[in-house]
Amino acid sequence: MEKAISLDKPMLRVSVAPHIQQKITTSHLMYNTLIALVPALLAGIYFFGFASLKLALICMATAVACEAGMKGVMGRKLTIINGSSLVLGLLFALICSPEVPWWTAVVGTAMAVILGSEIYGGLGNNPFNAVLVGWAVARISFTEQMTTWIMPEPLFGLEAGGYIEYPPLDVIRVDGVETLVDLPWLDLFIGNVPGTIGTVCVAAVLIGGIYLLARRIITWHIPVSFLASAWLFGLIFWLIDPEVYANPTIYLLSGWMVLGAFFLATDKGTVPVTAPGMIIFGIGCGLITMIIRYWGGFVDGVAFAILLMNALTPLLDRVRPRVYGRVKQVA
Amino acid sequence: MGLKTSFSGVSLPPQKVSNPAIEDAPLPKRVVLPLGQNGNRVCKPVVEVGEQVKTGQLIGQSDDFLVAPVHSSISGTITAIRPWFDLSGNEMLSVIVESDGNDSWLEEIRADEGFSDKEAAQLLTDLKAAGVVEIGPPSMPLHAKFATPEPSKEARFLVGIPQTKPVDTVIINGIDAEPGMAAKGAVLTKYSSEIADGIRILQKLIGSAQIVLAVNSNGSVSSPLSGELAGLSVQVFRGKDKYPLGLNPILIKCVTGREIPLPDGNEQDIGVAVVDAATLVHLVEAVRDLKPQVEKVVSISGAGITAVKNFRVRLGTLVQDLIEQQTGLKGEPVKVIAGGAMTGVALLSTDIPVSKETDALIFQTATEAKSFSPDACINCGLCVRHCPSRLLPNELSKYCEFSMFEEARARFLLHCIECGICAYVCPEKRPMLHLMRYGKRELSLA
Ligand code: SF4
Ligand code: SF4
Repeated sequence: MEKAISLDKPMLRVSVAPHIQQKITTSHLMYNTLIALVPALLAGIYFFGFASLKLALICMATAVACEAGMKGVMGRKLTIINGSSLVLGLLFALICSPEVPWWTAVVGTAMAVILGSEIYGGLGNNPFNAVLVGWAVARISFTEQMTTWIMPEPLFGLEAGGYIEYPPLDVIRVDGVETLVDLPWLDLFIGNVPGTIGTVCVAAVLIGGIYLLARRIITWHIPVSFLASAWLFGLIFWLIDPEVYANPTIYLLSGWMVLGAFFLATDKGTVPVTAPGMIIFGIGCGLITMIIRYWGGFVDGVAFAILLMNALTPLLDRVRPRVYGRVKQVA
Repeated sequence: MGLKTSFSGVSLPPQKVSNPAIEDAPLPKRVVLPLGQNGNRVCKPVVEVGEQVKTGQLIGQSDDFLVAPVHSSISGTITAIRPWFDLSGNEMLSVIVESDGNDSWLEEIRADEGFSDKEAAQLLTDLKAAGVVEIGPPSMPLHAKFATPEPSKEARFLVGIPQTKPVDTVIINGIDAEPGMAAKGAVLTKYSSEIADGIRILQKLIGSAQIVLAVNSNGSVSSPLSGELAGLSVQVFRGKDKYPLGLNPILIKCVTGREIPLPDGNEQDIGVAVVDAATLVHLVEAVRDLKPQVEKVVSISGAGITAVKNFRVRLGTLVQDLIEQQTGLKGEPVKVIAGGAMTGVALLSTDIPVSKETDALIFQTATEAKSFSPDACINCGLCVRHCPSRLLPNELSKYCEFSMFEEARARFLLHCIECGICAYVCPEKRPMLHLMRYGKRELSLA
């Protein structure tokens, strides 16, 4: 039989549908997250000086170097360009005290990249939030270095908030609720208290979180259910006994709560992707955080709450709406 | 009339449409007319090489209920009957007609004999004889959609159409679903009296069924059309600007609240028939003028043509001939897509003819043409957020990638409506739709 079409003309490109693609790429997601973290970093520099910036740069450089090394060792394509290591490094720095020595930060970040992410195959394949894995290793191995605090010293403008000497959650733990009665909530909100670089200034973290929501990098499900469930749970106990349990809003404004809800609990790949799954995940994180804060062995529960819920993620992804067309077959 | 349900999906970039609404493409010098629509169901040619044919003359026919007859779209001489590539790149027996330049039509056509005194059975016979094809997917002869109870039940059983419910709702799909498509909106404006006649014919064909005209949210019903529609019992459904509202499974759900039972069901199982607005015009011409389907309104865009143009093209015109008339084309197209930008098929060569299933052609230059990447999924969840079938495309794509087809079936792979959204949104640019189709094909072969 004759050939239907002669093959000597230049051929067209043939590919599968669709023939258009959204502009969003992985780098777009990562660099937007990086942008969203800038206010928190700036606030850290403002309250704790340029040591914060130095720590952030060290962590980011370590993360990139470790990713490159691991990708080389494992013979995989280099994906530094997508910015995920920069986000990881910066997030690690933001949850460290400004007093953390550089070598501790380097070890922690390296653990985050290597143990947290790369050995599973990198971005999106790790079951646990890589930053928190690294942090947990550092926190348990170098407890003293990781829990040394300094007083905030604003670079200009504000008076240093000298009301408490350790982060508010430590104060509640050690000295009891009544110590905090007079603490100005504004100090708590703008970060004029001791604490970790990127989490003290709730205002700055919120700006970043709202930016992420507005750019649709994350959805509202996890942050809202996380914060709301923690606050409501706190409210119940505060109503029961305000002598023992602090006002739930104080819990929301202190520690890693807001950063955790917007940045750590929305980490791609380690959290559920269905809407009901995300809401259950957020509620779980909120409740476990508060339980650890009230009765647990650690002062701030955010990290372990998220790690615990990460373990449930595959299960939570089973919670999904009914798919289209799944009806009883007509006999 | 509003949405009966909400669905995920995406807002695709809006497109401009050029005016005038529909132009006539010049008469081609040669046409290649494939003798079938989908795959292996093909007509037998009833003409011979060397024969003279007139426009509208029957050239291929079949006893198969699901194969539409084929007519010559120009007048001239038959120069060959041989295999030619169809849209999907498969060979299909085709009749090649060289034009004599006169475009002389068969006498019986353009009789304008009206339809008011025709019975439903006569309407169906005329419709079948005219070879009108509903574009789908799946594409099928239009008469097959309306072959409700009367003509013998076994006959339909034998041809494999499971008619489990009589049609009670007909949806006229006037929504241009995807970028690159503009034909339906243009047809609704330009052929408003035909659309109104079409609604009258549909009412005769299927008695008491409810008729719904679905239009784009922005493409409000033009004034001539709304004038024509006054006094007809038809409901107008205005969709929202969100893909894939114009795809049949989602449109049916939004208009009637019913879902097509998947994986094996089709719209007939739930008593719905969807008719493309452009096909409706062919239906009217078929029963009113006894004119067979020899044309198709095709939207053309891309490669410098920023505002979509609509042309009335003779069937069988080669894409190459259409390219040559385009003055607005910038640069050599490297990719030519038949259909919309989301679900269309990339053609293998420009020597492929326009068929009854072609409603849009998109030309892409090297900078416009996209490609996919082999990177791993980062589990960002974007595809899950947008999948209108509420599936987990990330998981399904991984199952298909690693040949775990049964697992994919258990996670409802067969409920995927192949809208392409997962591949459109994926930040890693994974070939998601390809993986879905690959998995489905492997399962169908198993
Ligand atoms: S899985 Fe199927 S239905 Fe869902 S977005 Fe992808 S192509 Fe569309
Ligand atoms: S959109 Fe792409 S990268 Fe994101 S979850 Fe889906 S398949 Fe994975």
